[in-house]
Amino acid sequence: MPTLIKLADGRFSAAEDVFTDIADEDAIPAAGAVILSLTRFQAEGDALVGAGRTVGVRVQPDEAVEDLAYDLPRLALVAVVFPKYRDGRAYTSATLLRQRLGYGGEVRAVGDVLREQAGFMVRCGMDAFAPADGATAEDWAAAAGRFRHVYQRAVDARPPVFEERG
Amino acid sequence: MYRYDAIDREFVADRAAEFRGQVARRLAGELTEDQFKPLRLMNGLYLQLHAYMLRVAIPYGSMDSRQLRRLAHIARTYDKGYGHFTTRQNLQLNWIKLGDTPDILDQLAEVDLHAIQTSGNCIRNVTADPYAGATAEEIDDPRVWSEVIRQWSTLHPEFSFLPRKFKFAVTASAKDRTAARVHDIGLVLRRSRDGALGFEVIVGGGQGRTPYVGPTIREHLPVGSLLSYLQAILRVYNRHGRRDNIYKARIKILVAALGKEEFARQVEEEWSKIDSAPADLPDTELARIRGAFTPLAFDSLPARSETFEAAKAASPALARFARNNVKPHKKPGYAIVEISLKAHHATPGDASAEQMETVADLAERYSLDDVRATHEQNLVLPHVKLDDLPAVHGALEAAGLATPNIGLISDIIACPGLDYCALANARAIPIAQAIAQRFEDADRAELIGELKIKISGCINACGHHHVGNIGILGVDKKGEEFYQLSLGGSGQEDASLAQILGPGMSADKVPDAIEALVDTYLSARTGQERFLDTVRRLGMAPFKEAVYADAH
Amino acid sequence: MKALTANRLIDGEVVFWKAGAWIERFADAQFFADDDAAGAAAVETAKGQPTVIVDPYLIDVVESGGGWAPVSYRERLRALGPTNEPTHGKQAEGGASVEAIRAAAGAARSTGRVDLIRRK
Repeated sequence: MPTLIKLADGRFSAAEDVFTDIADEDAIPAAGAVILSLTRFQAEGDALVGAGRTVGVRVQPDEAVEDLAYDLPRLALVAVVFPKYRDGRAYTSATLLRQRLGYGGEVRAVGDVLREQAGFMVRCGMDAFAPADGATAEDWAAAAGRFRHVYQRAVDARPPVFEERG
Repeated sequence: MYRYDAIDREFVADRAAEFRGQVARRLAGELTEDQFKPLRLMNGLYLQLHAYMLRVAIPYGSMDSRQLRRLAHIARTYDKGYGHFTTRQNLQLNWIKLGDTPDILDQLAEVDLHAIQTSGNCIRNVTADPYAGATAEEIDDPRVWSEVIRQWSTLHPEFSFLPRKFKFAVTASAKDRTAARVHDIGLVLRRSRDGALGFEVIVGGGQGRTPYVGPTIREHLPVGSLLSYLQAILRVYNRHGRRDNIYKARIKILVAALGKEEFARQVEEEWSKIDSAPADLPDTELARIRGAFTPLAFDSLPARSETFEAAKAASPALARFARNNVKPHKKPGYAIVEISLKAHHATPGDASAEQMETVADLAERYSLDDVRATHEQNLVLPHVKLDDLPAVHGALEAAGLATPNIGLISDIIACPGLDYCALANARAIPIAQAIAQRFEDADRAELIGELKIKISGCINACGHHHVGNIGILGVDKKGEEFYQLSLGGSGQEDASLAQILGPGMSADKVPDAIEALVDTYLSARTGQERFLDTVRRLGMAPFKEAVYADAH
Repeated sequence: MKALTANRLIDGEVVFWKAGAWIERFADAQFFADDDAAGAAAVETAKGQPTVIVDPYLIDVVESGGGWAPVSYRERLRALGPTNEPTHGKQAEGGASVEAIRAAAGAARSTGRVDLIRRK
């Protein structure tokens, strides 16, 4: 069971993952919270949500989060996928989910997720992390808090250096 | 110049501490090389042929004497006593040990230097006009905007894992000394008819395997909107730039694939959705940064220095140096002095620790403690009194730094090539040395006039061969180093890409080929025509004929 | 024949395999016959040493004027050091084995290129 780390009220803590991540070729279990691909959600999501199920959507980096705009209020989470550590598109996806689409639910980083990215991910509005490097919540907090200052405004509320200098 | 405050210092110290931890994890086996490589690259550390290479950022090419002395100290203590100034105004150290790098970063941090974002698929050190604050040509100080971009791009949360590396150039002069049109983004400061300051925004230029002169996507961006507009460009690129093929991942490929109009439309559309108030820099911070570059305390001096004129009349060497390496300054009685790192037997761009210290001393004593690195791999003392030129020249001569060849045929750009670089296919340095030695006669070099030769040891084009008046590309032809010549490139305001002249040749044939090109030019030029102008007027044919005549 | 090479993790130094150890001089490297399974086995062993070396691989070597040299000029430069600074790197110690690599024109199927390697 991979660890899940959640950020709430400025604190990182280990959390139980109540969601089942459903691959496109797998059947959807009869009960429980699930995460579906965007395509699968667009085909089967209405029925599941209508039946009162808890549903999240997995967004690949080449998929536009804007396509989810009208569904976001019904989603329990959006998982942004890092197929590779080097693929930075999910940072834009998360930023747009928060800033442009006003999504307030969980934005979870999944895939090739390493603690070195923690600071960037938090700043782009991700608040749940499924690390692939065995990082603990303490590791994650240390990595995310590594820098005492930030140079630009982002999704998080950290004041950039020019406000500190005020 | 911009001075770090406590916040900037703490940031760099945090970064050095982070890397110390990452190196420890790598050495302990907690990180694999595949995981560690992007982390060390984000700190400018490459594994090259013989050792690690550390690329130290010199923000927009600007240093003070304390920083240059520290670079000399590091070169002497942790390297073999020399460093290499690059075409991106950075300094590379060739013989670095991984185990020493945390200490080196600490030592750099003590003088407000670092290696942050000197590699990796992020926004790199900004190139700026090395004459900034000194030339009368500029309509604003490009360092102000370079510093704005440096701060904004430092560990940018959204744009640190782009499809590929990303390079800015900023200039405010009609004469472009930054190669702005072959950068990912070139920003040229201009005034509109009503006097408002704005940027011409050039996007998608570049060299490498597929060179482009970048198109202008906006003629006049109000300066206050710079960061929101850059955010729009970078966001379009981050989302849509190719990630399936490293050779097609630069923004130039996206701009070319979409077309300039469609790319510009997408940027404008994204820009219209960005909330500019939080995205753009507050005026107060802009004013603070601008304050760091307020004009210096220049003395009021006569435009003509009798001391200098008399010394020139007595010393042909000084007169030659003045003709080629001394450029006009905006203030009467001052000059901009270019220090050539292209002595005819030297490695282009290399400076020994002692030479760095000499330049640091001269900067402190004669140039308001200001030194610049140029993208043509030379150094600049931007604010020297004419009265002091004889003394400066004498000190440079004693240090082997008075080669009077700026802009001339032996002022060659060359990448480290296969002598050091793990990516290279062929050597570049010995080719530059062979050409420089062939054209060592200073009278002849001046007769030939402006001629820019640029040499790259592989298709990545760090030696800017695509924009050389004569470009030379080293290739591997069946296990042998071969060199492909091209003609007619320019990285300046009249940017153009060089065209391939003909079949490649072995190293020993290159100086003769250059000789043939030069002879053709000298016999065909009219008036004040530069080599580049003659090539543009006549086309390739006569030059091709001259070089390949023997093969007929 | 082949030799096994890599860069040492801690300092990036070019190293060669010799009977289970990493040594710095090409002249001391262990050579494997092209069809010798021991070469491939050494690569596998090397890949299991990620905290010692980086990127191990086999290179082709040939006899050249009484000594041995890597076939490719890239590998010759790794075995020598940069040609623009003849006192830097492995070439600094000089001697017959260094000269053999410098003189390895024929070994690399080339005529002109080694002219540029300076001889002190």
